Amino acid sequence: MTTSSQAGDAGTLAASLLAAALLLPGVAQAENAPENGSIGLRYLDYADRQPGLDRIHARSPSVSVMAPVAGDWAVEGTIVADAVSGASPRYHTAISGASHMADNRKAADVGVTRYFHRATLTLGGAFSGEHDYVSRALSLNGTLSSEDNNTTWAFGVAGSRDSINPVNRIVVGERKRTASVLAGVTQVLSPNDIGQVTLTHTRGNGYFDDPYKLFDHRPRDRRQDTLLVRWNHYLDATGATARLSYRWYGDSYRIRAHTFGAEYVQPLGDALGGGWTVVPELRLYSQSAASFYYDPAPDGTPGGLFPPGYVAGPGQPFSSPDQRLSGFGAVTAGLKVVRALNRWWTLDVKFEQYEQRGSWRLFHDGSPGLAPLYARTLQVGVTRQW
Amino acid sequence: MTGVRSVARVVPGVLAAAMALSGCASVQPWEKGKLAQPAMTFGASPLAPGLETRYAEHIYTSREGASGGSGVGGGGCGCN
Amino acid sequence: MTFRSMTMRRAALALCAGLACAGAWALDEGAAAPKFDLPGREGAVQLANYQGKVVYVDFWASWCGPCRQSFPWLNEMQAKYGARGLQVVGVNLDAKGDDARKFLADVPARFQVAFDPAGATPRAYGIKGMPSSVLVGPDGKVILQHAGFKAADRAELEKAIQTALGPQK
Repeated sequence: MTTSSQAGDAGTLAASLLAAALLLPGVAQAENAPENGSIGLRYLDYADRQPGLDRIHARSPSVSVMAPVAGDWAVEGTIVADAVSGASPRYHTAISGASHMADNRKAADVGVTRYFHRATLTLGGAFSGEHDYVSRALSLNGTLSSEDNNTTWAFGVAGSRDSINPVNRIVVGERKRTASVLAGVTQVLSPNDIGQVTLTHTRGNGYFDDPYKLFDHRPRDRRQDTLLVRWNHYLDATGATARLSYRWYGDSYRIRAHTFGAEYVQPLGDALGGGWTVVPELRLYSQSAASFYYDPAPDGTPGGLFPPGYVAGPGQPFSSPDQRLSGFGAVTAGLKVVRALNRWWTLDVKFEQYEQRGSWRLFHDGSPGLAPLYARTLQVGVTRQW
Repeated sequence: MTGVRSVARVVPGVLAAAMALSGCASVQPWEKGKLAQPAMTFGASPLAPGLETRYAEHIYTSREGASGGSGVGGGGCGCN
Repeated sequence: MTFRSMTMRRAALALCAGLACAGAWALDEGAAAPKFDLPGREGAVQLANYQGKVVYVDFWASWCGPCRQSFPWLNEMQAKYGARGLQVVGVNLDAKGDDARKFLADVPARFQVAFDPAGATPRAYGIKGMPSSVLVGPDGKVILQHAGFKAADRAELEKAIQTALGPQK
């Protein structure tokens, strides 16, 4: 979604494809092949805006199928289509001169998992294509469990290759490659608690600039690290589950980010005919600006949109006026309602509101001079198991 | 980058401590009824579909500087 | 030592600590099957009462997916070999009896069912996974233990039952 205006950060799209590939349902359920297959349909409607400008609107239907095969195998596949359109500022949050775009993206991924005694191995492939950006990725993930199944180690490697051809032809035939590794452990802590720690490291080289932003010139390599800690806790009193997470992120742009997530899964028991669950969620995010991000100059400064110290000619230092690389904090509040109709059918609706502001950055000042970003998300999904 | 190293250094120690705390009273296979519930697992289920997580990853990656980090799920009912 | 190898070393130690504390032990073949005396659906269920029969003890719970798959097969075994001296005993390990009763209303069990919410019996048998089954011979000794239930296991388990029962009279 919105990838054509964000080709610069599209390495992150590949990373998200890989991350998504690592979440294959087949790998999720410990070390036994799933007893049931499932097919899921989902629809997303996303819209964001800033004061005075509606920005990106995306509609995205998707379908996902997971099937156990021959007792010890599972196959999973997903297809997603995004229809994205709208406006993006060419620099900072400037409304004038914002670029308008409309694009369709299609993505598919497939994964095959083999289940062994206390271990799994998953091979995954992903493809994503749109007018100006094509990405292909491959991943291999494995898990290994202790004999009592209370400890599970996870390992993964993945790589991607992207081809970039922006419609404004500012560059032609650019490429980017990334490689990532993952290591993690999941540990049962008590009959009511389970925790997980995951480390990832990614290296990429190639074209990282956002070709639709002015004066966007980024290093041709990027290294990223994440540490993710998750904890699920079952509350006997209410039968609810608290799902908590914290992610630390750091990269070679000198962006440091903290993400706190909390979900409260509350089954409603026999109320309303039974089968209902409500899930409120809260997410807090804070990041520092990239080292080469530059602030907008005060209003009316002549030549204000240029990076400081800009001199025309080749050999520019790195710079970017991309809001996504500024320092800011963001909050998401959402509610999901799930209805299990019977053993086979499940419906859910999820609504989220997101707001991003420079002044909300935690512990330090965020980047000044940018308009806040508001986004709302609506998702509807149906799952059928067999 | 050094930030990750110092945090990662702590992780095995924390894990060993957690396991020691739970370890010698380690959870038996028949005590995993609550852990078997979909909400308690880290993987996908009809309660937390893979597609939903995928959309979230994609949205945040498109609007923020950080990306990735999600790991594979684990745990479950201890069923074989 | 490099950072990486230090971390790996500590991770390995943590894993070993977890494994060491698992307290894993299971009954050897030929060992005497621990006795149990548990409430059933109609009165007490005692292993001692089945002396002379081949007993297939199956440890199950309502939250265990493969357990749901195993019940039709267990019913089939009880029906097929009951006359030849097989007794299937399903020991339920749900902490809440209501969950077990709901499951049984959904998935019928045409064999003896006993309830052990405290979990003393699986502990005595050294159960390592859910479901687990133990085949006990007429002499009260363990013939085999099996963890898990997959479609592919059925043939192997049925053969073990047939062998234990001996030739058809």
